[in-house]
Amino acid sequence: MGAYDSGRGGKGSYATGCYAAYVIILLVFISIGLFYMFSGRGSEFDVGWVLESISSYTWACVGIAIAISFSVLGAAWGMFITGASIVGAGVKAPRIKTKNLVSVIFCEAVAIYGIIIAIILVQNIDDTTPEDWLDNYNTYIFNGYCLFFAGLLTGMCNLACGICVGIVGSGAALADAQNGELFVRILVIEIFGSAIGLFGVIIAVLLGNNRKISSS
Amino acid sequence: MALSALAPAYSPFFGCMGAASAIIFSSLGAAYGTAKSGVGISAMAIMKPDLIMKSIIPVVMAGILAIYGLVVAALIIGKIGAAPGYTLFDSFCHFSAGLSVGICGIAAGFAIGIVGDAGVRATAQQPRLFVGMILILIFGEVLGLYGFIVGVMLHLKVQS
Repeated sequence: MGAYDSGRGGKGSYATGCYAAYVIILLVFISIGLFYMFSGRGSEFDVGWVLESISSYTWACVGIAIAISFSVLGAAWGMFITGASIVGAGVKAPRIKTKNLVSVIFCEAVAIYGIIIAIILVQNIDDTTPEDWLDNYNTYIFNGYCLFFAGLLTGMCNLACGICVGIVGSGAALADAQNGELFVRILVIEIFGSAIGLFGVIIAVLLGNNRKISSS
Repeated sequence: MALSALAPAYSPFFGCMGAASAIIFSSLGAAYGTAKSGVGISAMAIMKPDLIMKSIIPVVMAGILAIYGLVVAALIIGKIGAAPGYTLFDSFCHFSAGLSVGICGIAAGFAIGIVGDAGVRATAQQPRLFVGMILILIFGEVLGLYGFIVGVMLHLKVQS
Protein backbone atom coordinates (compact mmCIF):
# COMPACT_ATOMS: atom_id res chain seq x y z
CA MET A 1 0.00 0.00 0.00
CA GLY A 2 2.87 2.37 0.76
CA ALA A 3 4.27 2.19 -2.78
CA TYR A 4 0.96 3.38 -4.33
CA ASP A 5 0.37 6.11 -1.74
CA SER A 6 2.33 8.65 -3.78
CA GLY A 7 2.18 11.84 -1.68
CA ARG A 8 -1.62 11.93 -1.57
CA GLY A 9 -2.75 14.27 1.19
CA GLY A 10 -5.43 13.61 3.75
CA LYS A 11 -9.18 13.98 3.35
CA GLY A 12 -10.22 17.29 1.84
CA SER A 13 -6.75 18.29 0.75
CA TYR A 14 -8.03 18.84 -2.81
CA ALA A 15 -10.56 21.32 -1.52
CA THR A 16 -7.95 23.01 0.66
CA GLY A 17 -5.62 23.18 -2.35
CA CYS A 18 -8.32 24.82 -4.52
CA TYR A 19 -9.16 27.32 -1.76
CA ALA A 20 -5.45 28.14 -1.33
CA ALA A 21 -5.06 28.68 -5.10
CA TYR A 22 -8.01 31.11 -5.25
CA VAL A 23 -6.75 33.05 -2.22
CA ILE A 24 -3.22 33.28 -3.63
CA ILE A 25 -4.44 34.57 -7.02
CA LEU A 26 -6.68 37.13 -5.30
CA LEU A 27 -3.79 38.28 -3.07
CA VAL A 28 -1.53 38.66 -6.13
CA PHE A 29 -4.03 41.00 -7.81
CA ILE A 30 -4.61 42.94 -4.61
CA SER A 31 -0.91 43.37 -3.92
CA ILE A 32 -0.17 44.49 -7.50
CA GLY A 33 -2.94 47.08 -7.13
CA LEU A 34 -1.56 48.24 -3.78
CA PHE A 35 1.95 48.59 -5.24
CA TYR A 36 0.56 50.81 -8.01
CA MET A 37 -1.48 52.85 -5.56
CA PHE A 38 1.28 53.48 -3.03
CA SER A 39 3.76 54.53 -5.74
CA GLY A 40 1.39 57.23 -6.94
CA ARG A 41 0.42 55.48 -10.16
CA GLY A 42 -2.97 54.27 -8.99
CA SER A 43 -4.72 55.43 -12.14
CA GLU A 44 -2.61 53.02 -14.20
CA PHE A 45 -4.26 49.97 -12.57
CA ASP A 46 -7.10 50.21 -15.03
CA VAL A 47 -9.64 47.42 -15.40
CA GLY A 48 -11.55 49.39 -18.02
CA TRP A 49 -8.44 49.74 -20.19
CA VAL A 50 -7.98 45.95 -20.08
CA LEU A 51 -11.63 45.36 -21.07
CA GLU A 52 -11.37 47.78 -23.97
CA SER A 53 -7.93 46.73 -25.23
CA ILE A 54 -8.78 43.04 -25.48
CA SER A 55 -9.91 42.88 -29.08
CA SER A 56 -13.60 42.35 -29.73
CA TYR A 57 -12.61 39.46 -31.93
CA THR A 58 -10.98 37.83 -28.90
CA TRP A 59 -14.13 38.21 -26.88
CA ALA A 60 -16.32 36.88 -29.69
CA CYS A 61 -14.11 33.92 -30.59
CA VAL A 62 -13.53 32.84 -26.99
CA GLY A 63 -17.29 33.01 -26.47
CA ILE A 64 -17.91 30.79 -29.47
CA ALA A 65 -15.29 28.30 -28.28
CA ILE A 66 -16.81 28.15 -24.80
CA ALA A 67 -20.30 27.68 -26.27
CA ILE A 68 -19.45 24.57 -28.22
CA SER A 69 -16.84 23.07 -25.92
CA PHE A 70 -18.74 23.31 -22.64
CA SER A 71 -22.00 22.16 -24.27
CA VAL A 72 -20.27 19.08 -25.63
CA LEU A 73 -18.59 18.55 -22.25
CA GLY A 74 -22.01 18.59 -20.57
CA ALA A 75 -23.46 16.23 -23.14
CA ALA A 76 -20.55 13.82 -22.78
CA TRP A 77 -20.67 13.91 -19.00
CA GLY A 78 -24.40 13.15 -19.04
CA MET A 79 -23.89 10.37 -21.54
CA PHE A 80 -21.31 8.56 -19.49
CA ILE A 81 -23.32 8.91 -16.30
CA THR A 82 -26.45 7.47 -17.86
CA GLY A 83 -24.65 5.02 -20.13
CA ALA A 84 -22.81 3.36 -17.29
CA SER A 85 -26.10 2.86 -15.44
CA ILE A 86 -27.90 1.54 -18.52
CA VAL A 87 -25.33 -1.16 -19.24
CA GLY A 88 -24.91 -1.95 -15.57
CA ALA A 89 -28.62 -2.41 -14.94
CA GLY A 90 -28.94 -4.18 -18.29
CA VAL A 91 -26.90 -7.12 -17.08
CA LYS A 92 -29.93 -8.52 -15.26
CA ALA A 93 -32.60 -6.78 -17.36
CA PRO A 94 -31.42 -6.53 -20.96
CA ARG A 95 -34.87 -5.40 -22.11
CA ILE A 96 -34.10 -1.85 -20.92
CA LYS A 97 -31.38 -1.15 -23.44
CA THR A 98 -33.45 0.16 -26.36
CA LYS A 99 -35.93 2.22 -24.34
CA ASN A 100 -33.21 3.94 -22.29
CA LEU A 101 -31.39 5.17 -25.39
CA VAL A 102 -33.87 8.04 -25.15
CA SER A 103 -31.88 9.35 -22.17
CA VAL A 104 -28.71 9.30 -24.27
CA ILE A 105 -30.53 11.16 -27.04
CA PHE A 106 -31.61 13.84 -24.55
CA CYS A 107 -27.92 14.33 -23.72
CA GLU A 108 -27.09 14.53 -27.44
CA ALA A 109 -29.70 17.27 -27.79
CA VAL A 110 -27.67 19.37 -25.36
CA ALA A 111 -24.68 19.18 -27.69
CA ILE A 112 -26.94 20.12 -30.61
CA TYR A 113 -28.06 23.24 -28.68
CA GLY A 114 -24.40 24.19 -28.31
CA ILE A 115 -23.55 23.77 -31.96
CA ILE A 116 -26.63 25.71 -33.08
CA ILE A 117 -25.66 28.68 -30.90
CA ALA A 118 -22.02 28.47 -31.99
CA ILE A 119 -23.04 28.56 -35.66
CA ILE A 120 -25.37 31.52 -35.00
CA LEU A 121 -22.57 33.38 -33.24
CA VAL A 122 -19.99 32.61 -35.95
CA GLN A 123 -22.13 34.35 -38.59
CA ASN A 124 -21.54 37.64 -36.77
CA ILE A 125 -17.80 37.96 -37.17
CA ASP A 126 -15.97 39.04 -40.29
CA ASP A 127 -13.14 41.31 -41.30
CA THR A 128 -13.31 45.08 -40.79
CA THR A 129 -11.44 48.00 -42.30
CA PRO A 130 -9.65 50.42 -39.94
CA GLU A 131 -11.95 53.30 -40.94
CA ASP A 132 -15.03 51.20 -40.29
CA TRP A 133 -13.58 50.19 -36.93
CA LEU A 134 -13.08 53.82 -35.85
CA ASP A 135 -16.55 54.81 -37.05
CA ASN A 136 -18.38 52.08 -35.16
CA TYR A 137 -15.96 51.64 -32.26
CA ASN A 138 -18.51 51.58 -29.44
CA THR A 139 -20.89 49.27 -31.30
CA TYR A 140 -18.18 46.74 -32.13
CA ILE A 141 -16.91 46.72 -28.53
CA PHE A 142 -20.49 46.11 -27.33
CA ASN A 143 -21.02 43.38 -29.91
CA GLY A 144 -17.82 41.65 -28.81
CA TYR A 145 -19.04 41.54 -25.21
CA CYS A 146 -22.49 40.28 -26.29
CA LEU A 147 -21.02 37.44 -28.33
CA PHE A 148 -18.70 36.45 -25.47
CA PHE A 149 -21.47 36.31 -22.89
CA ALA A 150 -23.90 34.62 -25.26
CA GLY A 151 -21.36 31.86 -25.80
CA LEU A 152 -20.42 31.65 -22.13
CA LEU A 153 -23.99 31.33 -20.95
CA THR A 154 -24.78 28.69 -23.55
CA GLY A 155 -21.79 26.63 -22.49
CA MET A 156 -22.50 26.87 -18.79
CA CYS A 157 -26.27 26.23 -19.01
CA ASN A 158 -25.73 23.25 -21.28
CA LEU A 159 -23.04 21.89 -18.97
CA ALA A 160 -25.50 21.99 -16.07
CA CYS A 161 -28.32 20.61 -18.22
CA GLY A 162 -26.24 17.73 -19.59
CA ILE A 163 -25.10 16.57 -16.17
CA CYS A 164 -28.64 16.90 -14.80
CA VAL A 165 -30.16 14.87 -17.64
CA GLY A 166 -27.44 12.26 -17.20
CA ILE A 167 -28.07 11.84 -13.48
CA VAL A 168 -31.84 11.60 -13.93
CA GLY A 169 -31.40 9.20 -16.85
CA SER A 170 -29.23 7.02 -14.66
CA GLY A 171 -31.99 6.91 -12.05
CA ALA A 172 -34.54 6.14 -14.75
CA ALA A 173 -32.50 3.20 -16.06
CA LEU A 174 -32.13 1.70 -12.61
CA ALA A 175 -35.84 2.09 -11.87
CA ASP A 176 -36.75 0.70 -15.29
CA ALA A 177 -34.71 -2.42 -14.60
CA GLN A 178 -36.85 -3.07 -11.52
CA ASN A 179 -40.26 -2.20 -13.00
CA GLY A 180 -40.87 -1.57 -16.67
CA GLU A 181 -43.70 0.94 -16.19
CA LEU A 182 -41.60 3.47 -14.29
CA PHE A 183 -39.46 4.68 -17.19
CA VAL A 184 -42.05 6.85 -18.91
CA ARG A 185 -42.96 8.63 -15.68
CA ILE A 186 -39.36 9.36 -14.73
CA LEU A 187 -38.83 10.63 -18.29
CA VAL A 188 -41.02 13.61 -17.30
CA ILE A 189 -38.24 14.69 -14.91
CA GLU A 190 -35.71 14.42 -17.74
CA ILE A 191 -37.86 16.72 -19.85
CA PHE A 192 -37.80 19.32 -17.05
CA GLY A 193 -34.03 19.00 -16.98
CA SER A 194 -33.80 19.45 -20.73
CA ALA A 195 -35.79 22.66 -20.49
CA ILE A 196 -32.88 24.23 -18.60
CA GLY A 197 -30.64 23.98 -21.66
CA LEU A 198 -33.44 25.39 -23.77
CA PHE A 199 -33.69 28.49 -21.55
CA GLY A 200 -29.98 29.03 -22.12
CA VAL A 201 -30.47 28.80 -25.88
CA ILE A 202 -33.32 31.34 -25.76
CA ILE A 203 -31.24 33.90 -23.85
CA ALA A 204 -28.18 33.27 -26.02
CA VAL A 205 -30.20 33.93 -29.17
CA LEU A 206 -31.63 37.13 -27.63
CA LEU A 207 -28.16 38.29 -26.60
CA GLY A 208 -26.06 37.13 -29.53
CA ASN A 209 -28.29 37.41 -32.57
CA ASN A 210 -27.32 40.03 -35.14
CA ARG A 211 -24.41 41.53 -33.17
CA LYS A 212 -22.15 41.97 -36.16
CA ILE A 213 -18.44 42.81 -36.06
CA SER A 214 -17.99 43.11 -39.80
CA SER A 215 -17.72 45.67 -42.55
CA SER A 216 -19.94 43.87 -45.03
CA MET B 1 -11.70 56.44 -27.50
CA ALA B 2 -13.75 56.84 -24.33
CA LEU B 3 -16.46 59.36 -25.02
CA SER B 4 -17.19 60.29 -21.45
CA ALA B 5 -16.43 59.19 -17.96
CA LEU B 6 -20.07 58.23 -17.42
CA ALA B 7 -20.29 56.00 -20.47
CA PRO B 8 -16.88 54.68 -21.52
CA ALA B 9 -16.72 52.17 -24.31
CA TYR B 10 -16.41 49.24 -21.91
CA SER B 11 -19.62 50.02 -20.00
CA PRO B 12 -21.80 47.33 -21.65
CA PHE B 13 -19.44 44.65 -20.28
CA PHE B 14 -21.01 44.57 -16.83
CA GLY B 15 -24.56 44.68 -18.15
CA CYS B 16 -23.90 41.71 -20.40
CA MET B 17 -22.22 39.93 -17.49
CA GLY B 18 -25.36 40.54 -15.43
CA ALA B 19 -27.58 39.00 -18.10
CA ALA B 20 -25.25 36.01 -18.37
CA SER B 21 -24.98 35.55 -14.58
CA ALA B 22 -28.75 35.63 -14.21
CA ILE B 23 -29.33 32.67 -16.48
CA ILE B 24 -26.12 30.74 -15.73
CA PHE B 25 -26.41 30.59 -11.96
CA SER B 26 -30.15 30.02 -11.85
CA SER B 27 -29.74 27.21 -14.40
CA LEU B 28 -27.07 25.64 -12.20
CA GLY B 29 -29.46 25.80 -9.26
CA ALA B 30 -32.34 24.40 -11.26
CA ALA B 31 -30.17 21.59 -12.62
CA TYR B 32 -28.98 20.65 -9.14
CA GLY B 33 -32.53 20.67 -7.80
CA THR B 34 -33.83 18.59 -10.70
CA ALA B 35 -31.02 16.02 -10.55
CA LYS B 36 -31.00 15.59 -6.77
CA SER B 37 -34.78 15.26 -6.54
CA GLY B 38 -34.80 13.01 -9.60
CA VAL B 39 -32.48 10.55 -7.91
CA GLY B 40 -34.79 10.46 -4.88
CA ILE B 41 -37.86 9.98 -7.05
CA SER B 42 -36.23 7.14 -9.03
CA ALA B 43 -35.30 5.37 -5.80
CA MET B 44 -38.74 5.88 -4.27
CA ALA B 45 -40.61 4.88 -7.42
CA ILE B 46 -39.54 1.26 -7.16
CA MET B 47 -41.55 0.76 -3.97
CA LYS B 48 -44.41 3.24 -4.55
CA PRO B 49 -44.98 3.89 -8.29
CA ASP B 50 -48.27 5.70 -7.72
CA LEU B 51 -46.54 8.48 -5.80
CA ILE B 52 -44.36 9.56 -8.73
CA MET B 53 -46.67 12.26 -10.05
CA LYS B 54 -47.09 13.82 -6.59
CA SER B 55 -43.32 13.74 -6.13
CA ILE B 56 -42.63 15.77 -9.29
CA ILE B 57 -43.36 18.91 -7.23
CA PRO B 58 -39.69 19.53 -6.20
CA VAL B 59 -38.65 19.19 -9.85
CA VAL B 60 -41.24 21.75 -10.95
CA MET B 61 -40.15 24.16 -8.23
CA ALA B 62 -36.53 23.85 -9.33
CA GLY B 63 -37.62 24.60 -12.90
CA ILE B 64 -39.32 27.77 -11.71
CA LEU B 65 -35.94 29.03 -10.47
CA ALA B 66 -34.61 28.80 -14.01
CA ILE B 67 -37.61 30.81 -15.16
CA TYR B 68 -36.77 33.58 -12.66
CA GLY B 69 -33.30 33.79 -14.18
CA LEU B 70 -34.73 33.68 -17.70
CA VAL B 71 -37.10 36.59 -17.01
CA VAL B 72 -34.42 38.82 -15.48
CA ALA B 73 -31.94 38.00 -18.26
CA ALA B 74 -34.54 38.81 -20.93
CA LEU B 75 -35.41 42.09 -19.17
CA ILE B 76 -31.73 43.06 -19.02
CA ILE B 77 -31.08 42.21 -22.69
CA GLY B 78 -34.01 44.42 -23.63
CA LYS B 79 -32.28 47.42 -22.16
CA ILE B 80 -28.56 46.95 -22.89
CA GLY B 81 -26.90 48.87 -25.68
CA ALA B 82 -23.60 50.35 -26.76
CA ALA B 83 -22.01 53.40 -25.16
CA PRO B 84 -22.74 56.33 -24.93
CA GLY B 85 -26.45 55.55 -24.59
CA TYR B 86 -25.75 52.95 -21.93
CA THR B 87 -23.99 54.45 -18.94
CA LEU B 88 -21.91 52.80 -16.23
CA PHE B 89 -24.82 53.30 -13.84
CA ASP B 90 -27.13 51.26 -16.06
CA SER B 91 -24.43 48.68 -16.52
CA PHE B 92 -23.71 48.13 -12.86
CA CYS B 93 -27.42 48.06 -11.98
CA HIS B 94 -27.91 45.28 -14.49
CA PHE B 95 -24.80 43.48 -13.22
CA SER B 96 -26.16 43.56 -9.70
CA ALA B 97 -29.61 42.46 -10.85
CA GLY B 98 -28.16 39.45 -12.62
CA LEU B 99 -25.97 38.44 -9.71
CA SER B 100 -28.89 38.79 -7.28
CA VAL B 101 -31.24 36.52 -9.11
CA GLY B 102 -28.46 34.13 -10.10
CA ILE B 103 -26.83 33.47 -6.79
CA CYS B 104 -30.16 33.39 -4.95
CA GLY B 105 -31.31 30.91 -7.58
CA ILE B 106 -28.36 28.61 -7.09
CA ALA B 107 -28.83 28.68 -3.33
CA ALA B 108 -32.55 27.98 -3.61
CA GLY B 109 -31.83 25.20 -6.09
CA PHE B 110 -29.52 23.50 -3.63
CA ALA B 111 -32.14 23.77 -0.90
CA ILE B 112 -34.96 22.46 -3.09
CA GLY B 113 -32.83 19.60 -4.38
CA ILE B 114 -31.71 18.29 -1.03
CA VAL B 115 -35.10 18.76 0.64
CA GLY B 116 -36.85 17.23 -2.35
CA ASP B 117 -34.59 14.19 -2.32
CA ALA B 118 -35.04 13.54 1.40
CA GLY B 119 -38.72 14.53 1.28
CA VAL B 120 -39.87 12.19 -1.46
CA ARG B 121 -38.05 9.25 0.11
CA ALA B 122 -39.63 10.02 3.48
CA THR B 123 -43.12 10.63 2.02
CA ALA B 124 -43.05 7.20 0.41
CA GLN B 125 -42.60 5.66 3.84
CA GLN B 126 -44.86 8.05 5.81
CA PRO B 127 -47.58 9.74 3.69
CA ARG B 128 -48.41 12.28 6.41
CA LEU B 129 -45.06 13.98 5.74
CA PHE B 130 -46.16 15.22 2.30
CA VAL B 131 -47.58 18.54 3.55
CA GLY B 132 -44.47 19.16 5.63
CA MET B 133 -42.22 18.56 2.63
CA ILE B 134 -44.28 21.01 0.55
CA LEU B 135 -44.02 23.69 3.25
CA ILE B 136 -40.23 23.36 3.45
CA LEU B 137 -39.97 23.44 -0.36
CA ILE B 138 -42.04 26.61 -0.49
CA PHE B 139 -39.70 28.31 1.96
CA GLY B 140 -36.79 27.30 -0.23
CA GLU B 141 -38.50 28.58 -3.38
CA VAL B 142 -39.18 31.90 -1.71
CA LEU B 143 -35.42 32.44 -1.41
CA GLY B 144 -35.19 32.44 -5.18
CA LEU B 145 -38.16 34.77 -5.32
CA TYR B 146 -36.37 37.30 -3.09
CA GLY B 147 -33.48 37.37 -5.54
CA PHE B 148 -35.93 37.82 -8.40
CA ILE B 149 -37.63 40.74 -6.65
CA VAL B 150 -34.33 42.51 -5.99
CA GLY B 151 -33.24 41.84 -9.57
CA VAL B 152 -36.40 43.38 -11.01
CA MET B 153 -36.18 46.37 -8.65
CA LEU B 154 -32.60 47.06 -9.77
CA HIS B 155 -33.61 46.67 -13.39
CA LEU B 156 -36.41 49.18 -13.00
CA LYS B 157 -33.85 51.78 -11.87
CA VAL B 158 -32.48 51.90 -15.40
CA GLN B 159 -34.37 54.43 -17.49
CA SER B 160 -33.49 54.76 -21.15
